[in-house]
Parts: sequence; structure tokens; C-alpha cells
Amino acid sequence: MKKLMTGNSAVSYGVVLSRAQVISAYPITPQTTIVEELSEMVADGRLPAKFIRVESEHSAMACAAAAAATGARVFTATSSHGLAYMHEMLHWTSGTRLPVVMVNANRAIGAPWSIWCEQGDSLSQRDTGWLQLYCQSAQEAMDTVIQAYRIAEEVLLPVMVLVDGFFLSHTSEPVDIPDREAVDRFLPPYRPRYKLTPDDPHTFNIMADTSLFISFRHEAQKAMEGAKKVVARVDREFKSHFGRGYGLLEKFRCADAEVVLLTMGTAASTAREVIDHYRRMGKKVGLCRLRLFRPFPGEELIKFLKGMKKVAVLDRDNSLGAGGIVAQELKAALFCAPRKPKVFEFIAGLGGKDITPETIQKMMEITLNNANPTGAPMWLGVEE
Amino acid sequence: MKKKKPIKKKPFLPPMSLSYEGTQASKTGTWRYLTPTYLNKLAPCNEACPAGEDVEAAMVLAGQEDYLGAWEKITQENPLPRVCGRVCFHPCEGACNRQEFDQATSINALERFVGDHAFQSGKRFTPPQEKKKEKVAIIGSGPAGLSCAYHLASMGYGVTLFEALPELGGVLRYGIPAYRLPKKVLEEEIDNILSLGVEVKTGARVGQDVKWGELKKFDAVFVAAGAWKSVPLKVPGEEAQGVMSGLDFLQKANSGQTVDLGQRVAVIGGGNTAMDAARSALRLGAKPLIIYRRTKEEMPAWEEEVAETGEENLEFIFLSSPVKIITENGKVKGVECIKNLLGPVGKDGRREPRPIEGSNFTLPVDAVISAIGETPDFSFLPEELRKSAGALPVDETGATALQRVFAGGDIVAQPRTVSYAIGSGKKAAIAIDATLRGKNVAEALRSAHWGEKGSLSIALYKKGGADGVAPEVVKFSDLNPDYFKRQERKPKETLPVFQRPTGFSEVNLGLSPATALYEAKRCFNCGVCNLCHNCFMFCPDLAITARPDKQGYQINYDYCKGCCICVEECPRGAISVEVKK
Repeated sequence: MKKLMTGNSAVSYGVVLSRAQVISAYPITPQTTIVEELSEMVADGRLPAKFIRVESEHSAMACAAAAAATGARVFTATSSHGLAYMHEMLHWTSGTRLPVVMVNANRAIGAPWSIWCEQGDSLSQRDTGWLQLYCQSAQEAMDTVIQAYRIAEEVLLPVMVLVDGFFLSHTSEPVDIPDREAVDRFLPPYRPRYKLTPDDPHTFNIMADTSLFISFRHEAQKAMEGAKKVVARVDREFKSHFGRGYGLLEKFRCADAEVVLLTMGTAASTAREVIDHYRRMGKKVGLCRLRLFRPFPGEELIKFLKGMKKVAVLDRDNSLGAGGIVAQELKAALFCAPRKPKVFEFIAGLGGKDITPETIQKMMEITLNNANPTGAPMWLGVEE
Repeated sequence: MKKKKPIKKKPFLPPMSLSYEGTQASKTGTWRYLTPTYLNKLAPCNEACPAGEDVEAAMVLAGQEDYLGAWEKITQENPLPRVCGRVCFHPCEGACNRQEFDQATSINALERFVGDHAFQSGKRFTPPQEKKKEKVAIIGSGPAGLSCAYHLASMGYGVTLFEALPELGGVLRYGIPAYRLPKKVLEEEIDNILSLGVEVKTGARVGQDVKWGELKKFDAVFVAAGAWKSVPLKVPGEEAQGVMSGLDFLQKANSGQTVDLGQRVAVIGGGNTAMDAARSALRLGAKPLIIYRRTKEEMPAWEEEVAETGEENLEFIFLSSPVKIITENGKVKGVECIKNLLGPVGKDGRREPRPIEGSNFTLPVDAVISAIGETPDFSFLPEELRKSAGALPVDETGATALQRVFAGGDIVAQPRTVSYAIGSGKKAAIAIDATLRGKNVAEALRSAHWGEKGSLSIALYKKGGADGVAPEVVKFSDLNPDYFKRQERKPKETLPVFQRPTGFSEVNLGLSPATALYEAKRCFNCGVCNLCHNCFMFCPDLAITARPDKQGYQINYDYCKGCCICVEECPRGAISVEVKK
């Protein structure tokens, strides 16, 4: 069934189709309408789940983790400051290897005060042990939520699904809602191996002594590394069930490309037009949308960029004192590559500033017209 | 030869740090200093009920919409819930802890609802399986006699009720007007008691129709003849035609006899009999005028009845006493009164009226109903019991000076209410059973006590005491009111005032099923576990679980650390703390 819906609504439907059993969330713009709709669906019985109202995001994640530890399928959602407030619990959730799925509507973190889109909120949580999948459309947001449970429950790590605040969360587009039975076939119920139960009570997260702590971390790291294959496989299976797939990297006009634009989220759809514009001019340019950010698909990027001359990275975020986070991760991955393209780094669209075709065109001009990058990221859209 | 490499087995590592040993191995109960235990307490309504009803248990069941179960609980103690649900002055509501929160729970109206509902559902008493050989005579078929007959007959005794008047019910039939207690309701409740096999002798006035000596063939006698003698006004003209006592008037009105009241009728007195007489006179077409020697505040009638009397626009003349009935040709022409001032507080705790000299005034009336008090008539009693004045003396077990003769109801010194009478009938039943079974009567009665106010329970008597219930009464401060919503008490529906003077239709219309449930759910269930689950939810050690019979919870002391959060979070004080390991 096709329905016109916002990105946030698509997320809510994805949660319902995934048969989440516990929802624990605190509202924050631009995530609010996700939990608003879910609470309505819980209240009117469309979603037979417990909805836990909490007083903060820290508690939202604590409740989500606790519920997941009892073996329930759990959902939460937040944004920006709320995500920052969850920071400690993000570590506990992944450290307990709990398959919590969370949607974060990307929004700039203050100060100055802003409610608008920026990916720095989630990227600054990149070391917390959560998988991160960045979406481009409402359809992808719904599909990724469903996929996220399969992934999380297999690798036993929590998954964060990212939607650009307002650009995706609040704009409407036609979305194909899969049949409940079809989703049930794709996503079986969660059967945890370990769970908190009065029938066989155990202490979770007991102190690990110095000899064991590193082993637990190593196990989690191995699970993260293995997760790339799981994400790819789950996406392939999803495609065989529903006819739609997204991959770890989504490539556009890349077959013979020499210069490629790398970005995440909704900016990629704007970039397509610009790529076509250059193609019409005969330039061998392409677009690569990074869908999976954690674990970082470094090897896949090395393989993909082999033979490319230049890569322009558009970061909708900035690590103060270091630069765009996607660019940093890419450069680190490319360090050991035998042949590496030149990396042109751009920062744009912070705090909700529009990334227009002209913005991307300007990036491409700089990348195409200069033999080498300047060394420092270029900031686009700064008041001169 | 190749040497085999020793296989080094990697230790198993679960995905998260997790105790190998189940936490049940750690008996955190050993840390305990304070020990919580489930212990139901006495609810104040139970203690306050003169009829000894287990109000609390009935309210728990009513709150679960188990009205038949509630009826069973009530009628175990009191066979007249439909009567009491209409006429009881409900001291239970006066003791209700909810008063300190918003308003008392509507217990009285709920009792009526439960009684009516059970009757309409066909619920009736079950006769006893086994009969006992002993026989008991009961003199008087008012609430005390009926209650005693019910309990004794339920225990299998052969009971004979002697009633001087043509029909059973005593004050319930001949004193209380039909607009407060419809005769049909009374008859249905009496029939239910009689169905237990009670023998009835109506029109059998002991002392006249039945000689006292004839009662010797009974193994025990319960005297519950009431207080039917009116206190005279002691004013000139009292013997005139048109002057009558309140009880005589009510008895006639309640028997459907015609009473000639004329136009204006003066009702003397401020008690329930005066209110009933005045309101009945109104319904018979007269214009009553209530004359009371003190002010409204000192009126001994119940507040509710005074309020209803006020609603019906009856005229009061306060601070006035009759000094003379004015007559003409032997018939009442008027009443001469004198104005009073209130003097100092007298023996009964009320301010004494003092006549103001020269303040006399005359009111033209066609009849005078005197309702200034009633006393028992001892003339039918044997010599030994006739000595006293005012009330028949009984000891703390209800026994008179004669062996195996007990007394209760309005004939003895106790508040003259239906519920006290019902309670004294039950007390006599317990005392008679204990006597006939050769038990220590005083001890038997002690085991049946709810609290300190003299309320007696037949269930406790049969069990031999309140096993598993703490004797202390739950106070409001023992509750956790955070768990209760403020909810206004819903008023009873009443007959519109304009419809009342036209007949004896019932004024109170009771509660609708929705309101009854609302009121039942308003009950705090003081001191009694009603399976609300709070303790289970709060226990941080999962030491609290449902009992196998699902009638309560149990604590696993191997793991209870004694934090007592369950005690704190129990909304109704049903968990106690003991200091011990």
C-alpha cells in the first residue's frame, strides 16, 4: 500500500511493522512526531506495546536497555541534545550488547540555539558502539528501521537510524508500506540467548576484572567488524523480499567516473541533479552516498575508489579543530590503500543551512579545477 | 613421531559481562534487619458498625463488582442489609478514613444497593444442614429479635418468635414510615429470615396471651420487646381528644389506619420519632408544626432526617415548650407554649432549656403529637426483672438476672438505633450458643470483637478470633494517599420534594449501578490487601510473588533485604514491619 507520509511517520510505521514491544522515549524537535504517532498507536491498540513515558533521554535509553535486557524488542527515538544527554547510556547499551533500535533526527547541537539539520549530533557519538545507518528518503527510513532489528538482533549491537531533521523528518513523499505478514516473514521474533528473567536471575554488567575487560571490548569490536557483512546480507535479503535495497554505499553514475562526490543523507538527492548536469557537460563525475557510517566501510571504499582521481567529501558536520568527520574517516581508511584519490574536503549545511545545487556545483568546480586540495577543509556558505 | 600439540581450550566468554552463578545463590535476605509481613488491619468502618458487619471485606468485593459476594459478607453478620441500607445512621461513614481525604465513602447506600441487587438476583439464605435440639424463645420481632432469630436459626437452633402486634418487624414496621423503609422491602427481608425455619407467633403478647411460665420449656429466652411506652408531656389537657403519642400515631399510620389530624398538627420533640411523625402527618394531608425546646443544633434526630424534614418545608418552632393543651369540648383547640433560653450544659452534655417567664404564646392546632421520648414497658416481665426503671439491666454478656434469659435492643441501655439492636441480637445469639454449648460466654464474646467499640462478628466467633488480622485500627496516617485520586462522593438520588407530600413513596432512591461501582471503588480498602500489585511492582529483589491461591502475596525472606519499600508503597497499610532477623 502506498501512502503519502513524512519521514517521521514512515519511521513510526516501520516500528509498528517490526512489532516493537517496548517504546521508551522523550520528545524533542524534530523527532517528536515519531513518538507522538507511536504513542497514539499504542493507545488505540494498533501497536500492542508498552509505552514508557520518561523524564529525560538518559532515562529513555536506560529503560530501553533494561527492557531489551529482558528480551523485548525495543524502540526509542531522539535528536541532538537528547542524544547527547543519552551519551552515557549509549555506552552501557552497546556494552551490554543489547539490540536496541533508535532513530535520531539529525539536528545541530547548540550553542547557538538551533533546531535545524546537521549530522554532528550523531557523528559525535561514533565511538559509543552503535551501528549508524544514514537515510535519504522516507521509504528508506521505514525500510532501514525494519532492517535494523534484523541486524541488531544478529550482531547483538544497538543500531542508530539517522534521518535528516526537517529535510527528511518533516517532508512528505509516497511510501510503499509493506504487508505485515511479509515483514513477519523477513523479521522473526527476537529470541535472546541471555535475558534478565526472574526464572533464572543473573547479574548483568558485573565488574569485569582487568584481565577480562579488554576481552569484552575485543568481542564487541569483532562484532562491529562482522556487522558490515550482516548489514549487506540483510539488505540483500530485504531486496529479495520487498524489491528494494540500498547497500552500504549507494553509487550513482560511478561506473566510469574519475571524480566522485561522497556524502550522507538527504544532500545526496540534491547532488544527483548536479552530477547529471556535469555528465551532460561530458565530465566523468559520479556520486557515492555513504549509508553505513558505523562500522565504517573502509575496505569497501578503498575498493570503490580504486582508480578514481579525486573524491570530494561533503560533510554536514564539523569536528572542531579537526574538520569534517566523514572526510577524516575516509582519509584514515585510505592511508593504507595502494592507490588513493586526492581528497577535497567541504563543510556545508551546518545548523540547517540549505545545501542547494549551487552549493554542490561550487564544490565540484573547486574539485574539478584544482589539481590538489588546499589541505584544509573548505567551508561553504559562511558569511563573508 | 610427531608430538601432538596440546589443545588449549579458549574459555567461554558471553557477549556481555554476566554472572556465571545465578543471583539466587546470593541470599540477600541475610542482610535483613526489618521484616515486612502481610498483616491485614482492622478498618475503622468495621469497628464502628454496631451490627458488626465486615464492611471492609464487602467493599473489596463490591469494588470488584462481586455484589453477591459482598452480600454474603454482609449477611453473614446482618440479615437486614436492605433495611439497614435505608435506615441505618451509618457510623461506619463517620469513621471512614476517606473523610480526611475528601468525603466518606457512601457505605450505607452501597449496602442498600448490594442488598437490593442480591434480592433481585434471587439470593436467599440457606437453611442449616444440621438442627440442634435446643429451642430458644425470642420476645419481640424488631431488629434485635430478627437478628437473634437469624443467627440462632442459622446455627440450627429451634427458634420461636413471639410478637405482640399482628405483624412482624417491631419498630421497623410500626415505627419507621414507609417513605424511609417500604413495607415490601421489610417483608422480603423478614421472609428470608423465616425461611431458615423460624416459628412465628404473632398477636402473642407475652404476659397476656402467653404466660411467662410457658416460656420455661425453652432452653433460653431473648427479650427484645423494645421501648414502646411514650413519655407523657405532663401538661394540662393531655388527655384531650386529638392528643396522641408519636409512637401511637406512627403505629396507626404504618398500619394503614386512618388518623384524624385535622388541619394543623403540633409535633412536640426533636428526635427521630418527632421527625417521622411530622413527615408522616404531612403525607396524610395535615400541616405539621414541630415544636422543640432547644435549638436545631441540639436536636437528637439524625442530621439526614433533619435535612430531609427541612427539604419538605416543615415548620419548626425552636426554644419553645408546651405548657398547656387548650381544649374545647374535650377536643384540642390549640397549644400554649413558653419560650426558652438555653442555660448551662446539663447531665447529657446539652444545654438545658430555661423557660422565660411571661413569654407564653398560643398556637391554634387541631391535634398534638407528643414525641418527647419512649421508655420500655416491663409489665410483662417476671417479678425479678421488673425492679428497674428506664432500662432492663444486663451484664456485659447481655444476660439478665434470670438464668438463660438475655435481653437486647431498645429495652436495654444502649443507643436506640436499628444497627445497635441488630448488634445486640447477634450478641445474644453468641451468648446463648456459648451458654448452651457450655463455653465461657465472656471469652466467646471477646473472640468475636472487631476492635474496641463493641462491634461483634459472628464470623470471628465461629473462627475463635481474628486470626491473621492485626487488632489495631488503620488510621488515615497509615495509608499512602499518593495512590488515591480525589473523587467527589456522589449523592444519593432522592424523590423530588414536590412529589413527597402526596404519598408514602420512598424518598431515597439509592444508587444507580454506575454510581454504586464508583462509590465501591472510592473505598480505600483500609488495611486490607486488595491485590493492587504495588508491593510486587516495587520490590527491588523480586522477593514478592503472588501466593499460589492468588488471594494475596508472599515474601521470599531468602532475598528480602528488609528495605520495606513495600510497606511504604502499600496504599492501604496492609503490610507491617517487625524488627527481627
